[in-house]
Amino acid sequence: MSKKSTRSSKPKPKPDPDSGTQSTVTALKKVLYISEKLLPDDDQRLRLDRFYHPGQGKDALFVTHPDGQIMELLEYAEPRRSWLIHSEICSNGRIYMTMPLDATLLALHHLRKHCTQRAMSLENIAVHEANTSRLLTQFVSPDGLGRVADVKVSGDLTFYKYNQERTLAWLALKTRQVAETLKKKQIHCGHSAQSQNFVRSDKLAEDTVINEMNYTRMACDIVGRYLDADLHDQLVGYLHIPSEIQAIVEEKTAAQKRKSNVGQEDSNRKKIKLNNHDSDAASRLMIGGLLDGEDVKDCIISPPSVEPLKERSMTAKEKALAKGAKGTKSIASFFKAK
Amino acid sequence: MSITLDFNGKNLAKSKSLNLHYLPAKVNGDGNANVETYFNNYTREAPEYGSGVVTNALRGYPLVGHRIQVPEGYKGIVLQETEKPLSESTDRQLRLTGVFDEFTYWNYDKVPSNGDPYRQALLMADVAQALSEPISEEDLEAEIKRNRESKKENSS
Repeated sequence: MSKKSTRSSKPKPKPDPDSGTQSTVTALKKVLYISEKLLPDDDQRLRLDRFYHPGQGKDALFVTHPDGQIMELLEYAEPRRSWLIHSEICSNGRIYMTMPLDATLLALHHLRKHCTQRAMSLENIAVHEANTSRLLTQFVSPDGLGRVADVKVSGDLTFYKYNQERTLAWLALKTRQVAETLKKKQIHCGHSAQSQNFVRSDKLAEDTVINEMNYTRMACDIVGRYLDADLHDQLVGYLHIPSEIQAIVEEKTAAQKRKSNVGQEDSNRKKIKLNNHDSDAASRLMIGGLLDGEDVKDCIISPPSVEPLKERSMTAKEKALAKGAKGTKSIASFFKAK
Repeated sequence: MSITLDFNGKNLAKSKSLNLHYLPAKVNGDGNANVETYFNNYTREAPEYGSGVVTNALRGYPLVGHRIQVPEGYKGIVLQETEKPLSESTDRQLRLTGVFDEFTYWNYDKVPSNGDPYRQALLMADVAQALSEPISEEDLEAEIKRNRESKKENSS
C-alpha cells in the first residue's frame, strides 16, 4: 500500500488544544500584517466585520477594535506564491494587511441614501441593517460626519443632513493629501505605458517632470475607490480633471505643434490629386519622379485648387537626396524600349 | 455572523517567533514538511548578487532571496482557524499561531529589487494613511470659500 493512503486512513490523534502547530491542519493559515495601533489590550478582542463598501458595491471585510478604531482588511495576492511557516507548507500565499481608513467614507454612502432630504439621527438611519447601524454608531466619528453633513443638536440627540458642498470640498482636500503623498513617494502617475514595471530610480527622481494633473487624477481615482460611482464623477468635475483620453490627445497636439513646419510641407505634398479617369499608373509614377516626363506628356495633372501649385521648398532631407542623385539616371530609363 | 481574532497584546508578546519563507511557487497542499533539513540547510549567502542576498533551490529551480522586515508600524502574525464553520451564520474564531518580524522573500531566478510587486504594493500603506488623515474644519471652510469665489469668477 502506498504511503499516502495509510496516512489518510490512520485515525488521527486529537490535536492538543494548547499548541496550535499540530500535524493536523484543519484550515488554512493566514499571514497577516496588523497595525501596531490596533493591537488590543488584555481583555479585548479584535473583530472582523462585514460592512458595505461603496467603491466595490458590496460588503467587504474590516478589522474593528472595541474602542472604535476601524481599519480596512486588504489582501496582497500574487499568482504562484505560497509560504513555508516554520516546518509547514501553507498553500495560501496571500498577505493580509490592515490599512488605515476614514470611516466617514463608508458612512457617506448611507448619508446620501437616507439623509439628503431630512436630518436623521444615526440610530434611525439603518434600523433594519444591524451591521450598518453598528458601523454608524460605533466606528464613524461624529467629527468626521460633521465635515460632510449639517449637524443639528436637540437635547441628547444629534441629527445629520447630507451636505453636498461640504462633501465635495472635503473630498477635494482628501485628494490633495493623497496627491502630496504620491509625489513624495515618487509613484509614477503618468499615463505612459511603463508604469507596471517601472522601477523607481533615485537618480531619475530629480529629472522627472512632475505633472501636477497626473498626480491629481491618480489621487482622485484612489479616493474614488471608496465612493459611489456618481459621487466620484462629481468629484472629477469639481477638481476639473480632464478625462485621460482628452489629456492624451492634448499632449499629442502639443507635441505636433513643435514640429509644425515639417508637418505642413508634408500635407502640401499629399493634397495633390489626380483626375479620376487619368489616374493611371504612369501618371502616378511621374509625380513620384520615377518616369521620364516626355513619355506621359498627355497626362493631365489637375491641381488641388484653382490657383497654380506653389513651388514648395525642399526639406533638408530632400535636398540631400537630390544632391546625392545628381548625375544619376532615372530608374525608369533602364526599362525603356531602345 | 461575527469573526473574532482571538489574541491580545500579551499573547503576542509571549507567542513564539516563526521562521517564514515566501516562496515564488504554487504548492497544492498544506501540511508538515521537513523545512529545516531540506530547505534551510541549503540557504547560501550570495554576495555576488548584492549584500544580504541568499540563494537556495526548490525542486531544482534556483531561488534568489533576501530577508525582509515587516513594514514599519506593523506586526506580522499567523492566524489559523481551528474549526471549519458549519454554516455562514456561525461565529468564527481565528486563533494565533505565532508572530514574526522578518521573513525571507524568495524570487525565482531574479534578484529581489524595488520592481517586485510586493514592494510596490506596500506603497499603498502610505497612500491609505494619507487618505485616512482627518481634515480640519478650518481647512474645509477655506476650501469651500475658495471654491465659491472661483465659481463667481467664472460666472461673472
